[in-house]
Amino acid sequence: MRILFFAHLKDVTRCSEMNLSCAETNADGLWRELIAAHPGLERFRGSVRLARNSEYVAPEARFTDADEVALIPPVSGG
Amino acid sequence: MEIHIQLTTERITEHLPPPSAALGAWGEFRGVVRGEENGATIAALEYEAYQPMAEREIRRLLTELSTAQPCLAARVIHRLGIVPVGEAAIYVGIAGRHRAEAFALLTAFMDRLKRDVPIWKRRAVTNLNVIEDRTPNASGHPKSGSVSAHSASEVVTLLRELCQPLATERVALAESNGRVLREAVCALEDQPSFDRSSVDGYAVRQDDAGTSFVVVDELRAGDWRPRALQPGEAVRIATGGALPGDGLQVVMKEDVRVEPGKVLVLKRDGDRNIRFRGEDAKCGQILVSAGTVLRHGTLGLLASLGCVQPLVTRLPRVLHLATGNEIVSPDQFPKHGQIRDSNSTLVQAFLSQWNIIPEQRRVAEDAPAIQSAMSHQLSEIDLLLISGGASVGEHDFTRRLLAEAGFVIHVSKTTARPGKPLIVAQRGGTLAFGLPGNPLAHFVCLNLYVRAALESWSGQFQRTDFAAGELTEDLAAGGNARESFWPARWHLTDGAVRLAPSRWQSSGDLTALAGANAIIRVRAETKQLPRGSRVEFMNTEGIG
Repeated sequence: MRILFFAHLKDVTRCSEMNLSCAETNADGLWRELIAAHPGLERFRGSVRLARNSEYVAPEARFTDADEVALIPPVSGG
Repeated sequence: MEIHIQLTTERITEHLPPPSAALGAWGEFRGVVRGEENGATIAALEYEAYQPMAEREIRRLLTELSTAQPCLAARVIHRLGIVPVGEAAIYVGIAGRHRAEAFALLTAFMDRLKRDVPIWKRRAVTNLNVIEDRTPNASGHPKSGSVSAHSASEVVTLLRELCQPLATERVALAESNGRVLREAVCALEDQPSFDRSSVDGYAVRQDDAGTSFVVVDELRAGDWRPRALQPGEAVRIATGGALPGDGLQVVMKEDVRVEPGKVLVLKRDGDRNIRFRGEDAKCGQILVSAGTVLRHGTLGLLASLGCVQPLVTRLPRVLHLATGNEIVSPDQFPKHGQIRDSNSTLVQAFLSQWNIIPEQRRVAEDAPAIQSAMSHQLSEIDLLLISGGASVGEHDFTRRLLAEAGFVIHVSKTTARPGKPLIVAQRGGTLAFGLPGNPLAHFVCLNLYVRAALESWSGQFQRTDFAAGELTEDLAAGGNARESFWPARWHLTDGAVRLAPSRWQSSGDLTALAGANAIIRVRAETKQLPRGSRVEFMNTEGIG
C-alpha cells in the first residue's frame, strides 16, 4: 500500500511517501500501522482525513494493498 | 458544464478570456498573496498540492455545486511553489447565463475549496533579502557578524551530525546490491544443518574395525535415507551427502578397493571426513551485522539463509540543478563562449555508486528559474545539489537563493581548496549543497562532503576515510596557506599503496581528472613533497 504525506506531515515523517504492506484493514488498523512506523503522526490523527485513490473515504472504508492512501491534513489553498 | 483546471508553478496571466463564448455573465476572482501572514510581514507564500486529487476534487465540487447554480463553464487555476506577495495564488472564472448564478457558484466554490481541496500553504517566506547566518563558531553557537571559515574535517563532522540514518524498507535480494543492511541477520538453523560427508567415499561405523564391508546403499548429495549401520556394512556416499546416522566415519574412495559385492579398506586414519551440523554457525548466531554494505559475497550468504527481503536503508531522493548560462548539453556543439555541462554527468555517475538516480535539470542562472525548478518539490527531496555557474557571483547567488527558500545556512566558507565556495544548508529533512561550478572542485567536494552525507544517511558502520600512501613522483604543493586536495591515481605495488598525483593549474582543469581514483590531502603551508613521501589519501571508489 502506497502512503502519501503532505504539508507538515512530511516534516514529521521526513518522507513524502512510504510503502506499507498489511492485510486488508479499516481506518483504525491503518492508523495503528502508520503510528507504529511514525509515532509522531499520532497527535495529528484527529485532524487528518484519509483519502483512498484520490477520494476522501467514509469512516467504514477498508483499505487493501493495491490502494494509494493519502493523509490529508487541514487544507489551506486559495 | 465545461471545466478547465490548471495547477501550475507559472505566474497566472493577467487577461484570461472565458473558456467558451459566455452568455450573459463572466465572473472572475483572483486571490492575491497579501504581505502579511499571522501578523508578520512576509515576502511570499509557498503552496503544495496532492495534484491528482486536487484536480479531481475541484471538478467534483464544481459539478456538485452547479446542480443548484447552473452555469456554463468554469476555469480554475491554482499556483504551486513560491508565490510572491502581490501575485495571484488562485484564479476562478465562472460563465453563466446571469450574474446571480455565476456569483453564487463562485462564492460557494471558494468556500468548499478552502475546506476540501488538498492544497496547502506550506510556509511563509518572511524576507527575501535578509540572509540568516547560523554559521557556528568554535563554541558551536550561532554567531552573528563575520562568518568563520570551516576546515574540510569540520564540515565532515557537521555533516555526520546533520545526517542521521534514513528510514528503512524491505527490498528484494536481487535489488539490494550496494544497499546498507539495517538488521542483524542470524542463522535460523545450524550451518550446515545436517552432518555431511566432505569427501567421496564409504560411510562405516566408527567403532567397526573391520576391513571388509558390504555396500548396503548409495547416497548422493540431496538424498536423505537414515539407517542404523550394522558392523560390516558400508554406505557409498558422495561429497555433500547427508550421513545416514551418528557415530560414523567416511573412508575416502581412494583408500578402498572395490570388489564384487564388497569394498576392502586399504587405509584408515582418525579423520572422520564429516562436516558436522553447526560447524560453520550455530542457530541464532549473527552472521551479518546491521550496517553492512551488501555486496555479492554477502548477498550469496543471505540467499543461502533464505533472507530474500533484507531490511535496508531507503535511498535518499536527490535533485541536482546544474546552473549556468554558458553550459550546453554534452551532446551539443558549444558555441563560442559556451562549454559542455560536465558536472551533471559527474554527479550522476558519482551517485550511481549508491544506486541513487538523481533528478537532474539544467537551468539558467537566474533566480526565478532556479526557484521554480526546486520549489514545488523541495519538501520531497533529501538532498539538493546546486552546481554553480560562472556567469554571476555564484557564491552569494546560491547562498541567497537557499536562504530565501527557507534554508538555514550552516557553512558558507571553507579553508580547503579547491572547493570554494562551498555552501551547506538545511531545511527540515532536506540538505542542500551549493557546489562551486568547476569540475575539479566538484570531484573534490562530492568525494569529501557529499560522500560523508550519503554514508551517514545510509547507516553503514564503516566510513571512507583517509589512509596512508606513498608518492611516486614529486608534488609541488606550493606552500599554500590553505589545506589543498589533489586528484591522484592510486595502485598497489609490492603490497604498498603508491600515488601518482595529477597536476592542476586551475580548478577548471578537467584533464587532471583523467584516471583519477583518489584524493591526496596536503596540509596547509606544505611546500614540496618529494617522491617517496608518505601522504594521506582517500580512495574515491569508496570502501565498498
